[in-house]
Amino acid sequence: MSVTDSTGLPSRNAASCAAAIQVFLAVLLVFGGKLEAQTASTPSTTYSFSRDIRPILSGKCFQCHGPDAAAREADLRLDQRAGAIELDAIVPGSPEASEIIARVTTTDSDLRMPPEGDSLTEEQVAQLATWIEDGAEYEKHWSFQAPQGPVLPLVNDSSWPVSELDYFTLGRMEQAGLAPSKKAEPAVLLRRLYLDLIGLPPTVEELDAFEADPSAANYEAIVDTLLQSKHFGEKWAAGWLDLARYADSNGYQHDDLRSMWPYRDWVVEALNRDMPFDQFTIEQLAGDLLPEPTTSQLVATGFNRNVPVNFSGGAKVPEVRANVLHDRVATTGAVWLGLTLECAQCHDHKFDAVSQREYYQLYAYFNKAVPEVAQKSETMFKKLFVGREVVVYESEQDRLRVAELEKTLAAEENLLAQNDADDGGEILILDFEGQDPLKGNQLSHPANTSADRDTPESGGNFAAKTVVKPADKDPGYFGTGFTFAERDLSAVAELSLWIKTDIVGSFNLQVHNADNRTSTFGFSTATTKPGTWTHIKARTDAFEKPAWAKAEADWAEVTKIQLTAYGNGPYGGKYIMLDNIAGRKISERDKRIKRIASLRKGIEQLQTSTMVMQDAVQPPDTHMMIRGDYANLGDRVETGVLSSLHAPASELPPNRLGLAKWLVDPANPLTSRVVVNRIWTEIFGRGIVTTPEDFGMQGASPSHPQLLDWLALRFVDQGWSQKRLLKSIVMSATYQQTSTASEARIKHDPANAFYARGPRFRLTAELVRDNLLSVSGLLSRKIGGPMVYPVQPEGLWMEILGVMDTKEYPTSTEIGRHRRGIYTVWRRGNPYPSMINFDASERNVCTAQRDRSNTPLQALTLLNDPAYVEMATKFAEVIWGWQGSDREKVVRAFRTAISRWPTDEEVAILLELRRKRGSWYAVAQTLLNLDETITKS
Amino acid sequence: MNKIDLLKRREFLREGTLGIGALALSDLLAPNAAATESNPRPRAKNVIFLHMVGGPSQMDTFDPKPALDKWDGQSLPEEMTRGQKFAFITPQARVIKSPYAFKPQGSSGIVMSELFPEIAKVADDITLIRSMRTNEINHGSGELFLHTGHGRLGRPSFGAWTAYGLGTENENLPAYIVLKDGPTAAGTSVWSNGFLSSRHQGVEFRKGRQPIHFLDSPEFTSLEERREVVDAIKQLNGKALQRYRDPEIATRIAQYELAFRMQTSVPDLVDIDREPEHILKLYGLRDSQGEESGSEFARNCLLARRLVEKGVRFVQIFAGGWDHHESIYSSLPRSVKKVDQACAGLIQDLKQRSLLDDTLVIWGGEFGRTPMVQEYSAGTGEKTAPGRDHHKECFSIWMAGGGVKPGFTYGATDEFGFGIVENEMHVHDFHATCLHLLGIDHERLTFRHQGRDFRLTDVHGKVVHDIIA
Repeated sequence: MSVTDSTGLPSRNAASCAAAIQVFLAVLLVFGGKLEAQTASTPSTTYSFSRDIRPILSGKCFQCHGPDAAAREADLRLDQRAGAIELDAIVPGSPEASEIIARVTTTDSDLRMPPEGDSLTEEQVAQLATWIEDGAEYEKHWSFQAPQGPVLPLVNDSSWPVSELDYFTLGRMEQAGLAPSKKAEPAVLLRRLYLDLIGLPPTVEELDAFEADPSAANYEAIVDTLLQSKHFGEKWAAGWLDLARYADSNGYQHDDLRSMWPYRDWVVEALNRDMPFDQFTIEQLAGDLLPEPTTSQLVATGFNRNVPVNFSGGAKVPEVRANVLHDRVATTGAVWLGLTLECAQCHDHKFDAVSQREYYQLYAYFNKAVPEVAQKSETMFKKLFVGREVVVYESEQDRLRVAELEKTLAAEENLLAQNDADDGGEILILDFEGQDPLKGNQLSHPANTSADRDTPESGGNFAAKTVVKPADKDPGYFGTGFTFAERDLSAVAELSLWIKTDIVGSFNLQVHNADNRTSTFGFSTATTKPGTWTHIKARTDAFEKPAWAKAEADWAEVTKIQLTAYGNGPYGGKYIMLDNIAGRKISERDKRIKRIASLRKGIEQLQTSTMVMQDAVQPPDTHMMIRGDYANLGDRVETGVLSSLHAPASELPPNRLGLAKWLVDPANPLTSRVVVNRIWTEIFGRGIVTTPEDFGMQGASPSHPQLLDWLALRFVDQGWSQKRLLKSIVMSATYQQTSTASEARIKHDPANAFYARGPRFRLTAELVRDNLLSVSGLLSRKIGGPMVYPVQPEGLWMEILGVMDTKEYPTSTEIGRHRRGIYTVWRRGNPYPSMINFDASERNVCTAQRDRSNTPLQALTLLNDPAYVEMATKFAEVIWGWQGSDREKVVRAFRTAISRWPTDEEVAILLELRRKRGSWYAVAQTLLNLDETITKS
Repeated sequence: MNKIDLLKRREFLREGTLGIGALALSDLLAPNAAATESNPRPRAKNVIFLHMVGGPSQMDTFDPKPALDKWDGQSLPEEMTRGQKFAFITPQARVIKSPYAFKPQGSSGIVMSELFPEIAKVADDITLIRSMRTNEINHGSGELFLHTGHGRLGRPSFGAWTAYGLGTENENLPAYIVLKDGPTAAGTSVWSNGFLSSRHQGVEFRKGRQPIHFLDSPEFTSLEERREVVDAIKQLNGKALQRYRDPEIATRIAQYELAFRMQTSVPDLVDIDREPEHILKLYGLRDSQGEESGSEFARNCLLARRLVEKGVRFVQIFAGGWDHHESIYSSLPRSVKKVDQACAGLIQDLKQRSLLDDTLVIWGGEFGRTPMVQEYSAGTGEKTAPGRDHHKECFSIWMAGGGVKPGFTYGATDEFGFGIVENEMHVHDFHATCLHLLGIDHERLTFRHQGRDFRLTDVHGKVVHDIIA
C-alpha cells in the first residue's frame, strides 16, 4: 500500500509529511480490519469527518467557531461546511489555500489558532490537511445518523462465535491481535449470570445442579428462569433509579422525607413485566396524559417528581420552579438522548447542535405542569408541595380494609352531624374567688400578682392579674402559673380559660404533673384584641409534650396550670389577667370525635399519597431565560423538539406525551443506542461508548460502532424488550469468557476494551449489601413497600440544619433490617453511610455511571459496620449448623460466598483460622470480606 | 486581503480548557516544580477553612458602618434595593445600626469590632476581605455555592477539587477531612466529590473516640483476632490476585492493611489530651484554672492543626450558630465568643510551628446579612427581637497564612454595608485565588464530565493578586 504521494500536505509544511504517514499507519492498525477492503483504492477515504476530523475541530475550534452564535468569533463557524468554505477557512482540495491550515501551523503568536491552550499536534495538522485535500466532506456526528444494519464482519476463527454479537467483538479482537479467552468454568459463569440478572448469588444446590449439567441448553433454561424471577426487577431498578434521581427526601435545607417509594416499586414491577422500553418511557414521562390513565400510569410519572426541591424559607417559588424544570430538561437529555442539554441553558450549546432557543422549547413541555410548590403565605415562608398526588396501597388487602373503614367513618360522621349536643358538664379548676385566691402562684421572673375586680362576664368578683417587673435583661419569656393539690382531670375533653393581656404574641398553656411531666397547648393573641377579655379553648388531645419536658403530662395527676408568653419580649411592664380556668367533661360527642380521629388515622396509615405529574389547563407562557436567569426573560417560545434530530410525526400533541413519543420514535438515532449501551455497560463494566451520559461531540466515540448499531436495531426490532436484549448478551460467547487472564493479556488491554476476557469488577453498593445478606442467610426476599431503615450509626439525622419533620432515624426491626439495598431510605442530605462508602449515588442529580472506588473505608465497613457484623455472626451460625467435617464446612462456606470450588491452599488457610480462633465467626467474616465475594468475576 | 483576516485573533473568548483533558493531571500541576505562566508557584500546601454556618453579619464584625447610626430606623434609598432579592424581609425594611465599637488593631491597624478581642491580637497576620459577593440567599444553596461554586446540588466541593488536584501527602489518612460542631443546611452535599472519584469526598471525623464510621472493631473482637482475620483475607486475596491478575485485588489488599493501621492510628491522632496544657489553653480548651471549656469548635481547630501536621491537605471546619434572624444582639456575641479565642489560637499555634506559611486559613460564612432589620419570625410571622436577614451582595471574610498579605485589608462596601464599591471578590474569584495560592491554575484544573471540562470556577473567576504577599 502506498500513501506517500497522496497525503496532500501543503508543500510549505512538508515536515509534517512523515508524521502523516505514521499517523496513517497507526490508523490502519486500529481500524485496519474495516479498511482491509479499501486498501486497494487511494487513501482518500482515510480520514472520516466524524471519526477523525470533528474531534479535532470540536476540541480546538468550536468553542469560538461552533454552534454557539453568541460566542462565535469573526462570524466563522467551522461546524458547517458552507460557512467554513464561504470565508475560505477551508478550500476543498487545497490545504495550501485554506486559512485554517495556515493558522494552526503559523509560528506568529498573534495569528496562531487556537489562541489559548495547546496547538494542534503535527498528526492532527496532517489529518486535517489530508481531509481538505480530499474534498473536506462533512458528515453528521455519528450518533445523529441513524444506526446502519451492519454486515457481520469476517473473522478468522469462525468456530468461536455462538451468536451474531460475537462476530463484532471477535472481529475487533482479531484486528488488535487478541484472541478470545476460554469459557469460564461453570460455577463462575453461573455466579456471573445470577449477579447480572437478579443481583444475588446462586446457592450451593444451584451450583451443584449446573455443574452436573453445564450444557448450553441447561444454561439457556436457567437464563429464562432468572429473567422470570421477581428479583430481576430489583437488580435492574437500581441503575434506573440513579437516572431517575429517585430519593426519599427533598434535598437542600429542610431535607424532609417524601413518599416516592410507589414510583420505585413501579420501576421494579415494570422491569419484571418487561414493559417495552418505549412504553416504559411514555408512562414515566407522560402517563398522566394518556387517555384515562390508570393509577399505575400516574405513579410512573413520579419519575419527574423525584427532582430535589429547595424548601429553604427564603427560596423564591419561581426560582424553585425554574430549577425543577431545568433539572427535568437535563435529565431527559441525559437519559434518552445521551446529550448534555443543560449546556444550552445560558447560551447555544458549544459543541452539539442544540440552540438556546431549542433548549427552552424543550423546557416549554415541562412548563405546562401545574405549580408544584407553594409558600404558606407572604409572611409564612414554609414551602409546601401542592401538585397532584394519588393514593396508593401497599397491598390489595390494605385497599379493602380502607374501604371498610371508610364505611364506618361515614356512618360516624353522619351521626356526629345529627347530634350536636355538647354537654358533658364542667369542672371548675381555678376561679380566683374565696379565701387566699392567689395561693400557689408561681412566676418565672419578678412580677406582682394581685386579685383584680376587672373580671370577664360571669367571672365572679375577682380575676388574677400579674404585672411583670422591668428587668435588665430580656429573658425571652415570661410565665405565671398556679399550683394546687393534685387533681384528676382525665375526664376533661377541653380546657378553657379567660385571658386579658397587653402582650401581643405567642402563649403556651401548660399542664404540669408534680414531677415535671408537662403538656402544652400553643395559641397566639396576635389575632385577638389586646386589653379585652378573650375566651381560649383547648382540646386536651391538642396538647403536646414540649421538647424540654421529660414526658407528657398525665391528666389524672395535674398539680399546676401555667401560662407562658414567649418570643416577643421584653415583657417588663406588661400584664396578664386570668380567670375561670375550667374543664369541660367528655361527652358522647367527644367520644365520637375521638373515634372519627382514630378511624381517619387508621385509613391514613394504610394509604400512601405519592406525587405525580399534571399539566395545567392554562399553562404559563415559556420564555427564554437570558443567561439562564429565571428573573430575566427573553423571547417567548413554544414547545418543540431538536431540529438536528429526526422530524416529529406530525400528529404528535404539543405536550409531554408528544415529547415522549418523539423520543421513542424508531427514527430517533439516539435513544436505542443510549439504552443498549447502558445495559451493556452494566454487564461488561465498560460501555461501547464509555461516556454513557454523553453521545454528543464531546463524548467518546464507540469502540465497536457496528456492534452498537446491531444491538440498537435489534432492541427496537424485538419490541424494545430489555429482557430479550439481555438474553442475547448473556447467551453470547463474549459474555461467557473467563475473566482470569495472563499478565500479557492484561497489559495488552488493561481496560478490557476489546472484551477479550470476561468482565471483572466490584459489585455496586446495593449488591454488596444484597449478596452478603444472601450469603449469610439473613436476606429478606420481600419485594417492594415503604423504605426501610437498616442499622446506621446513631444521630446522623440530627446533623442537617433546620430539618422540620424528621430527625429520628427509626431503625427497622425484624425483616426491615435485612431488605435489599434499593429499599434503604435514601435521604439526600445524609444518605446511608455504608452504601455511600461503596459509591452509591447521593441521587442529587441524574447519574448515568457510578464510580468504582477501592478504599480503606470499604474495608472498615465490611469489617465493622454493625450490619455486616450481624451478617458475619449469622453466617457463622449457619456454618456451625451444617453437617460434616470442618473441611467440608469450609468448602461449602467458600462456595456459598464465592461459588467456585476453593483450592486446597485456600481451604487450609481457612481451616487454620478456624483452628486458631476456635469459632466460625472469623472464617465467616473473612469470607464476607474477600475481594471475590464483592466482585463479579 | 484574505477574508479570513477578518477573524479577530485577539477577541477570542478566554474561557474553556479544551484539549487539556487528554493530559495527565500531574503534567498540569506540579506543586514542587518551578512556576510557569500557567502553573503558579505554590504558596500554600494545606487549607483550613473555618466556615461560620449561617452567615455572620459584616457590619457587626469586620466592616464598620458608622453611617448606619444616622440611617437607623429609616428605609434604604429605593434605587438601592430595587430588583434585589431578600430571603424574608421587604426592600422597605428599616436600617438598624450596629451597637459595637470598631477600632484599628495591631500595627497594621485593621479595623474590626470589639467583639473579637483575641482575633484582634493576630490582626497583623490576616488579610481581611470586605468585598466578598455570592449568588445565593439561602443557606443550602449558599453553602453549596461557597463550596462548589454552584448553587445547586451535584458539583464537587473546593476540598474535593483540591484533593483531586494535589493528592495527599499522607497515604494513611484521607486528603480531605471535615470537622463540625453543628449541622450544615445542605447536609453532606457540601463536602461531596460530585462527579469526581469518591476518593476525593470529604471524610467526616466525628467527635468521640470513633471519628470515622465503622473504625472500631466490635467489642468482642480482640486486636489479635482482627490481625488474624486481616491476614487470612490478605492470603486469600493474594491467591485471587494470582488467579485473575486484576490490579484491583492488589489495591484491595493494600486497603485492608491501611484500614487495620487506621484502627489504631486515627484514635491516637484525634486524642487531643496528649497536647500540653499551654496548647489547650491557647485554643481556649482549658481556662486559666485548667478547667475544660468543652468547646467543640476549639477542639476542631486544634485537631485541624494536628491533621495538617500529618499531611492532610484540606481540613473543613463548620461552626454552627451564625444565622441571626432574630435577637442578633444577644446571640451574636455568644457565637463570636465560641470561636474568637480558638481562631486566634490556631493562627498563633500554626505560626509558632512554622506551619502558617504553608497553611491557608480561611474564616467566613456563606453570605452576609442585611443592614436592614428583620423583625418578624420567618416561621410564624410573629414579631421578634431585632435580627438581620440573609444578604448576598457583600460580606466579609478573612484569610491568614498560605501566601496572603499579613495585616492587609482588601475591598470596600458602601456606607450601608449593602453593596460593594471597591475591589469586588466574587466567590468564583475567591476560589480562583485560593487555588492559585495552592499552585493551581483554576482554568486548568478541569474534569471532563458529560462532555464538558468542568472547573471549580465554572466559566468565571479571576485571581486577585492584590491580596497575595
